[in-house]
Amino acid sequence: MRKIVLLIVSALLLASCGREKQTIVLNCNDDISGHSVATIAGCAYEPELSSRKDINCQLYKSSSDLLQALLSGRTEIAMYDEVVYNAIIRKENGIKIAMLGDQSYPTAFLFGKEDSELVQTYNAVQRRLIEDGTMQKLKDFWLTDKYAEAESYAHIPSEASGKPLRVATVLPTAPISFLVDGEWYGIEIDLLRELAKELHRPLEVKLYDNASGFMAVQSGQADVMCGVVFVTPERQEKFLFSEPYHSYHTAYFVLDHDVQAQSHGIIAWIKKGIHKTLIVENRWRFIVDGLLKTLKISILAILLGSILGVGLYSMMKSRRKWVRSCSAVYRSFIAGIPELVLLLIMFYVVFSNTGVSPDIVAIITFALFFASGVSNIYKASLDAIPYGQTEAGLALGFTKSQTFFNIVLPQAIRIGLPLYKGQCISLLKGTSIVGYIAIQDITRAGDIIRSRTFDAIVPLLFVTVLYFLLVWLIGALIKLASPKKNVL
Amino acid sequence: MITVSHLSKIYHNPDGSNVQVLKDVNCEIRPGEVISIIGPSGTGKSTLLRALNLLDPPTGGSILFNGENILEKNYPVHKMRQKMGMVFQSFNLFDHMTVLENVIYAPCKIHKESTEKAREQGLALLRKVGMAEKADVYPSNLSGGQKQRVAIARCLAMKPEVILFDEPTSALDPTMVGEVLSVIRQLAKEGMTMLIVTHEMKFARDVSTRIFYMQDGIIYEDGTPQQIFESPVHSATKAFVQRIRKEVFQIEGKDFDYLDMESRIRQFCVKYNIADKCDKALALTDLMLKDIMAEYIPITERITFSELSMDTFVDFMVEGLETSPLKADHPSMDKLRALCSEIIEEPTSRGFRIKLRIG
Repeated sequence: MRKIVLLIVSALLLASCGREKQTIVLNCNDDISGHSVATIAGCAYEPELSSRKDINCQLYKSSSDLLQALLSGRTEIAMYDEVVYNAIIRKENGIKIAMLGDQSYPTAFLFGKEDSELVQTYNAVQRRLIEDGTMQKLKDFWLTDKYAEAESYAHIPSEASGKPLRVATVLPTAPISFLVDGEWYGIEIDLLRELAKELHRPLEVKLYDNASGFMAVQSGQADVMCGVVFVTPERQEKFLFSEPYHSYHTAYFVLDHDVQAQSHGIIAWIKKGIHKTLIVENRWRFIVDGLLKTLKISILAILLGSILGVGLYSMMKSRRKWVRSCSAVYRSFIAGIPELVLLLIMFYVVFSNTGVSPDIVAIITFALFFASGVSNIYKASLDAIPYGQTEAGLALGFTKSQTFFNIVLPQAIRIGLPLYKGQCISLLKGTSIVGYIAIQDITRAGDIIRSRTFDAIVPLLFVTVLYFLLVWLIGALIKLASPKKNVL
Repeated sequence: MITVSHLSKIYHNPDGSNVQVLKDVNCEIRPGEVISIIGPSGTGKSTLLRALNLLDPPTGGSILFNGENILEKNYPVHKMRQKMGMVFQSFNLFDHMTVLENVIYAPCKIHKESTEKAREQGLALLRKVGMAEKADVYPSNLSGGQKQRVAIARCLAMKPEVILFDEPTSALDPTMVGEVLSVIRQLAKEGMTMLIVTHEMKFARDVSTRIFYMQDGIIYEDGTPQQIFESPVHSATKAFVQRIRKEVFQIEGKDFDYLDMESRIRQFCVKYNIADKCDKALALTDLMLKDIMAEYIPITERITFSELSMDTFVDFMVEGLETSPLKADHPSMDKLRALCSEIIEEPTSRGFRIKLRIG
């Protein structure tokens, strides 16, 4: 055993020492050949990149993941929108643009195929902004260095009421669209706010993944998608685009080994990380809101699922064969489908265009899984109680329901409770995927903070600790609700 | 107290076939009676008991309990069960409760008795069955006999008017049967009305005021222990109480397989530990079938052994015969008298039977 550990440690040391630390120099598009190049899944230049055989192409989910991959050395080159990473470079030492991409992409807002009226309204608004010079002012502010100095952003009160204009952003990064202290800012947010003003509707922004943003618009869960959406012919087949407001360049980013990374010692580093993660811009609010959201979805799904589980259990025990088969089909269906897939189906197919809030979709989805799991627990623990116990209760003069609740159930709970607790905990941890349908739970709160601070470690550690505490809390709640040892 | 008339119970098997366990049970149970229900396995003894408190509701007939028809729709069955206690073969103690909790749980929940008062009464009951020492022990730490005594105390705690015992000692080691039976004996002395399904014949004879002999889903014979055990009316009752084992042979003609018969008689004697009587039984068979009664074939021969009286008989039955086939002047009669200790000649409804006791 000790030998194996030694071997692994020495291999790791060798691997970390063996790397030649030299800044990669790129001059033309062919220079990237032989390197590992990473970008974001679903972005406009992904097909071109992933079709190249001479590079090791990697795809990440978000811009902060991409940055982390570059910083941790998982990829040598990151290819992304120049404007976004320029904002990052100002905050983070150690990366630089190696080369600009050879083309720029016209960027616009993406609407559903049937929403031509909305597109025309937006186009009219944009033309007006270009004519009165507002557009130029916006670009001067956001697309240069100016916004970085502006510590406080002007808060725009929205007095409009009615159905909100639902925006799906896929890029939670300055200067495009970003969250500060619960409010969204950025050039694309400002433009869409102008559209909302024109429509007299409030603006509601939600964060999606790159791929699910398109689905959100297609299924009617969002009216418009933003986040540096390049206009490409494939996308034009399925969606409507507004007139482009700008053309963004792509760029190749690499680690800049010429800049010495500053080291302040581990304590200072942790302090800085906590400060960045929690204190600045009141980011702890994301954590608190996410915590409450995770807790709300978990507890409601557990309650609803426990009740549905009773129904499923009574179906399993039914005298009619077809009822039993129904429950068997349901359970094998649930057993055979990943939670994330069902969540997406429920959100984008079953509840699309219904106006049901994502929270409720998530609660229902997790309750469906939970019901299947607990119905088996109910069965196992109730079947473990011999029928003699029921007969003894009846013979003493208890009614049927008194016998069940006073004699059978307390014994079954003793058997089933550890299993039930395990089911609750796995549900709680399973809810970390609700970010896919734009719910800001703890995991997604961590993601949002990472997309502002570009620091992966501290938010992830925080999220880990919080899940740990939540698991402990759920365990304590169940212990509190469990029957006491003394029966009288 | 309980009047049962024309009670029947049919079980429907999942394969569609029906089994009639109780055919037509009629009986009257009066206060203070201790009734043992005996009979071969599978004749509906336990079913009758379980039908009385409706754990297995009967399919026909009527049961009157204190003058009320308990089979009526909407009859408060649980109220009736509070007065009709039951002790099970497999104890069925509540495993998640201590011994004392088992005893006082129902009075506390149903009679709403205060915990202190119930505790006091529960301990008194446990003392009565000799289990007060184990009041705070969980059932899993008790022996079978101890469990059954607690189960009896639990039953008594509801102050029932009658107690049904469903084979209370069948699941016990022989060493533990005694402690349970003495508790039931004690209850009988105190005048508790009881119905006991049991296989303990000596106990049934000593403790009961009445015995029901059940067979084929009916009460075959109903009488005092003396009647049932000493002079039963029905041969089936007699066969059961004397624990008579038998082997029957139909001798149809001259070509009968005597060798097979011989080996079966030998097996029978070995099985019931009467090997010393084997040679005499074979000699008698040979003498009767081939000599004395040869002309009366077809004959039905039986060899019987009572485990109670230890008597062994060989008997020969000729159907349709009214007078004895034995002639005093038959040349082999002396031989016959030498082989057996008693010759009984009895006419029956079907024919004439010669019974030979092997001494």
